[in-house]
Amino acid sequence: MMTALRSAGVALWRTGLARNTWTLGVWLLLSALLLWYATLIPVFGQFQVTSISKNSLPLVYLAIGQAIIVIAGGIDLSLGALLLLTNALAARFMDDQPFAMVLFIAIVLIAGLGILNALVGYIISVSGVPDIVVTLATGYIWSGFALWILPSPGGGTAPEFRWLFTGAQSGIGGTYVMPILMMAVPAILVFLLSRHTRLGLSIYAIGSDSVAARLAGLDVRRAKISSYAIGGAMAALAGLATVALTGTGDPRFSVGANATLNSVAAVVLGGVALVGGTGLVLGAVAAGVILIMLNPILSAMGIDPNNAQIIQGLLIAGVMMVGGLVTLLRERSA
Amino acid sequence: MSQAPLPAQAAAEPAGLAARAAARVAEHPTLALTGILAILVLATGFVEPNYLSVSGARNTLLQAAPLGILAGAQTILMLTGGIDLSVTMIATGSAYVAANQSPEGAVIAILLGILVGLVVGSANGVGVAVFRVNPLIMTLAMSGILLGLFTAWAQTILQGSTQMGPFIKLLGGGSFLGNRVPYSVVVWALIAGGLIWLLRRTGWGRLLYAIGDNEVAVRLAGVRVWQVRITAYIVAGVLGSISGILLGGRTGAVDLQLANAFLLPSVAAAVIGGTSIFGGVGGYTGTILGALILSVLNSMLTFLNVGQAIQQVVYGGIVLALAWGYAGLTRRA
Repeated sequence: MMTALRSAGVALWRTGLARNTWTLGVWLLLSALLLWYATLIPVFGQFQVTSISKNSLPLVYLAIGQAIIVIAGGIDLSLGALLLLTNALAARFMDDQPFAMVLFIAIVLIAGLGILNALVGYIISVSGVPDIVVTLATGYIWSGFALWILPSPGGGTAPEFRWLFTGAQSGIGGTYVMPILMMAVPAILVFLLSRHTRLGLSIYAIGSDSVAARLAGLDVRRAKISSYAIGGAMAALAGLATVALTGTGDPRFSVGANATLNSVAAVVLGGVALVGGTGLVLGAVAAGVILIMLNPILSAMGIDPNNAQIIQGLLIAGVMMVGGLVTLLRERSA
Repeated sequence: MSQAPLPAQAAAEPAGLAARAAARVAEHPTLALTGILAILVLATGFVEPNYLSVSGARNTLLQAAPLGILAGAQTILMLTGGIDLSVTMIATGSAYVAANQSPEGAVIAILLGILVGLVVGSANGVGVAVFRVNPLIMTLAMSGILLGLFTAWAQTILQGSTQMGPFIKLLGGGSFLGNRVPYSVVVWALIAGGLIWLLRRTGWGRLLYAIGDNEVAVRLAGVRVWQVRITAYIVAGVLGSISGILLGGRTGAVDLQLANAFLLPSVAAAVIGGTSIFGGVGGYTGTILGALILSVLNSMLTFLNVGQAIQQVVYGGIVLALAWGYAGLTRRA
């Protein structure tokens, strides 16, 4: 009886491993890069871990949001603009406010942007216009609003709020406890939601085959709108993390556009295929950290920032080519 | 979705004429686009009466030509179910090379500029077609690589001239027939004719539609899909180069931000023009109208002088409304 159970358990582990090899691989890559980075620089300690974890926060949040939307079969090119909008709103209204008020504003922004993006999800599902087109257009609208609210870089936030995301009231130095906690808690929450709740499973189901999901009696529209709501809330978190990191607001269009593109790159590198229905949120988290970590690693190797950009692009293309080649060979042999 | 036929039927009885008109527009979406373009032109004329003149039209066309060519690259790729997010970096890079080589003469400058598009387009094509990388990711990564390369090269092998030669300046910004017809519009018209012919009359064009519609069926029919895809990316790269050189000629001097702002409009122009982002549906005629609509819209927003923030909001709102209206029209048909 026991052996049967144990072998069943082993079999379960094996299928789990086989299904999630990519996610596991990304985490192994992240660990390997961390180890390598540790040997590259003379002193590797609290400062480096804090710096990497806090600087990855905005991209990791966006990647989590993008991952949920992509798993549901969509794609959101407005996440970076939503980040800009939150960043602008937060910097404008949190300036010189007490911590309690700042926290209240943060919660309102997270809920508000969740609702706002849910509305976008609703528009996509009733209009029949592809996700990529609708979010392209709404991206313009949100970054326009961001610029309207905060015409030039400025504003600020409470020191305690900066501590919440960076571990230091000045945003410089500090300990890694807060940034890692702020990264892990939303990541694990969204991961559990996506794998262990009815809503999460229906998000995977509609991304995998929305017709089959509808015929099976799932509310496709509700799942789709929910995925966009989660994406909006995560983009708001990313905007709040940005204001905590930089202590100011920056409404430039290009900042948002780059953030969007990086979130898509993180999601795909993290093993969430753009066709939808596959991959894990946790893979996107690791890929987001890797993309941010490349910069200090390459500068520690004495490579100048321009070449770092080339290497980052080559890495993304290279990893995806290897992935494509592996599936090709597997198809051939099958 | 099931209640959709009901209101259509109800509307057909009291107003048969309106329903028939709607059906006709749905059959020929370009009619609706032309109507929208006309309305936008008149509205812009209302905002700025001087706009309804030869010089107003010329200015809009000067803006529309590079955008229309970039959107042509996007159209070809979208028909196959692909997309090129590196097309504006290709344009910028080509313009940079062309400006750098301008002292060597216009022919060499233009040819070397187009070479950039050939090389990058081939690389994109190989990544997407042979290694099966998702086009969004392949071209996104390529865009980053190009930005890095050209930023580095601007200080090394491409050091020197950032000014376009006189011939390219004339091509990109000059006009003839008494300063009425811009040369860049002639280039655009030639390319447009070529693209429409390729898409409608050649086997290659039909294959683009077929691949976007059902790649497996095309492969089983014996077509080497990967070759068609690679050529599509090469054509898109070359179109990007031409657009970049025209754009550089219009501005006179080049920098690494030259074509950045055109990326999202190039996709939007194709989408507004009725090309499906999932492939198999669309054409270049609609894209031309899409590019014109966006350029007129841009002029109007500039004349209104409302500031960049409101411009972005209105721009996004109108793109969304047009795409929504288009989807509604074609679904009813």
